[in-house]
Amino acid sequence: MNAVEYEGIAKRFGSVSVMEDISFAISEKKFVVLLGPSGCGKTTLLRMTSGLEKVSKGEIRFFGNRINEVHPRDRDIAMVFQTYALYPQMKVFDNIAFSLQVRKQPKAEIKKRVEEAAEILDLTPYLQRYPKALSGGQRQRVAMGRALVRHPKVFLFDEPLSNLDAKLRAQMRYEIRRIHNQLDTTTIYVTHDQIEAMTMADEIVVMQNGIIEQIGTPDEIYDRPANRFVADFIGSPSINFVEGVVDTTSSAPVLQVESQQLPLPTGLNLEPGRELIYGIRPLDIKHDQGSALSGSLDFIENTGAESHVHFMFGGNRMRLVKHERLSLNPGETVNFLPDLEKVHLFDKQSGARIN
Amino acid sequence: MLSPGQRMLRALVAWMVVGIFFFPIYYWFTIAFRIDKEIFEIPPLLLDFTFSWQSFEEVFGITIGAKGGLEVVPGGGNYYMVPRLVDSIIVAVGSTALAVTVATLASYALSRMRIPGQHHFVFWILSTRMMPPVAVAIPMFFIYKNFGLLDSHLGIIIVHALMNLPLAVLLLKSFFDDIPQEIDEAALIDGASRFLIFRKIVMPMAIGGIAATAVLCFIFSWTEFLFVLTLTQTSLKTVPVVSTTFVTSTGTAWGKMAALGVTAMIPAFIFILLVQKNLVRGLTLGSLKQ
Repeated sequence: MNAVEYEGIAKRFGSVSVMEDISFAISEKKFVVLLGPSGCGKTTLLRMTSGLEKVSKGEIRFFGNRINEVHPRDRDIAMVFQTYALYPQMKVFDNIAFSLQVRKQPKAEIKKRVEEAAEILDLTPYLQRYPKALSGGQRQRVAMGRALVRHPKVFLFDEPLSNLDAKLRAQMRYEIRRIHNQLDTTTIYVTHDQIEAMTMADEIVVMQNGIIEQIGTPDEIYDRPANRFVADFIGSPSINFVEGVVDTTSSAPVLQVESQQLPLPTGLNLEPGRELIYGIRPLDIKHDQGSALSGSLDFIENTGAESHVHFMFGGNRMRLVKHERLSLNPGETVNFLPDLEKVHLFDKQSGARIN
Repeated sequence: MLSPGQRMLRALVAWMVVGIFFFPIYYWFTIAFRIDKEIFEIPPLLLDFTFSWQSFEEVFGITIGAKGGLEVVPGGGNYYMVPRLVDSIIVAVGSTALAVTVATLASYALSRMRIPGQHHFVFWILSTRMMPPVAVAIPMFFIYKNFGLLDSHLGIIIVHALMNLPLAVLLLKSFFDDIPQEIDEAALIDGASRFLIFRKIVMPMAIGGIAATAVLCFIFSWTEFLFVLTLTQTSLKTVPVVSTTFVTSTGTAWGKMAALGVTAMIPAFIFILLVQKNLVRGLTLGSLKQ
């Protein structure tokens, strides 16, 4: 069963149109990430789901029922905000208990459920503190506790980790996913961080300028990006793009890049002269002394575990990732070999995938 | 870092400023406690004047008895100012409570709800302060006469609250604007009604701003002269208006005026002291990650 369905959603703020026609469905118990650069409409979509923002056109359904006109408090959702939005004058216990207190639940029940949520989030020692006496990560967990305690049908997260430092973010990523696995509640999670999307999601919805670019599992989106934008947005370090023209004069088709040539995957039946964008992830290029392909070294970034080798090829800046250290001087020749199975080809005009 | 010399200079200037503000008040105090013939002594007697409660006794009809407690002067003194102080307190507390209550609700609504032409609305509120109050004194008199509000505490409370509202609304709106909207939204999703959000979440966070606004409203009402003069006759008079009765055709009773003024400081002082602990800002600290 679909937990949440969007059908023909449009949103306008005054005369500005943020999205025109968004339709997709989220099945029950799934962890779905809305991913995109800022201003792509992902937060607006989430706020419409929560009821904080009105839907201009279209229909949102929860478990088959239209909820466009339903008040946020009656939608059976819980939301975690980017800024946490804790109530500063209330202790952690009351922050978490507030929604239950408002709903006039029995005191004993409230206590039980708050303690249960605190247990899951390791907040038990902090229940009698005020938010100002907590660290960023703890505040973030209180915000989650406030959502957990409700046992809602749908969790909504609005970039909950973007205010944490890198280390804590990695830890909370794991925590959120662990809690999801434990509770099995449908979750919609908004982020602009592709690592969060890749590591946490069952399904990713990539958005740009109010349009869905691709929906798929993290693997699908990484392995077969539907267009140039998705390929560029997903993956770290980011993908290399090389523009060129198809040349079929020799036996195997090649991409003519200025004066140099890149081998193309076979069996694609590309007409000669077609302008293409050739995408290859840095991890899919081998540094191979025996390869005929060569560029000139720009510089090497050493991250400790990997060397990121930046080089110039036919006027394009490219990068490959090597697991061993490499000592080369700028200007020296880098021989490289792309893995032809992992080449992504996009049409130059439309940006759509062709292989 | 400041050098010791610079720090000394800074302290010196600060104390000079304090002195400039404080000296007139001190001088006023000494006049209240001098005997009449020493008031205009040149050079002024700032320390070694003849200390006397005489002015207070005559103004309030109360004296310090033989046993040390307060006693009513037989015959009641000459001015009966105690009821006037009570009038002032009723009017100031009443109008402050009214103005702050209405302004808090109004400014929260203005801060959170979107209405067409909102921008003009705020300007329109402010524009009511552009006109000199005396321009409306006569129309107010006739309106009050028709409504039977002339010469009543309620009438003065209303007019002072009305005078204070625009500024109070604008001031409080800025405090509410500082409280992030996400807190309202979180509470909305948690199931709270608008009014509950206002009462339990947002108002406690704005308490510093509400206290500051209350102080301003109180001081305005405590010192307001024109409307009390025009809209009252016999049943009430506040301290600023009644002070003028010391200016007579046979001379001005400076000592008595000072005694009333010194006494009038006390309720305002107490009020500000009561509200002061809430004037601390930073209550929003910890709510958000900034």
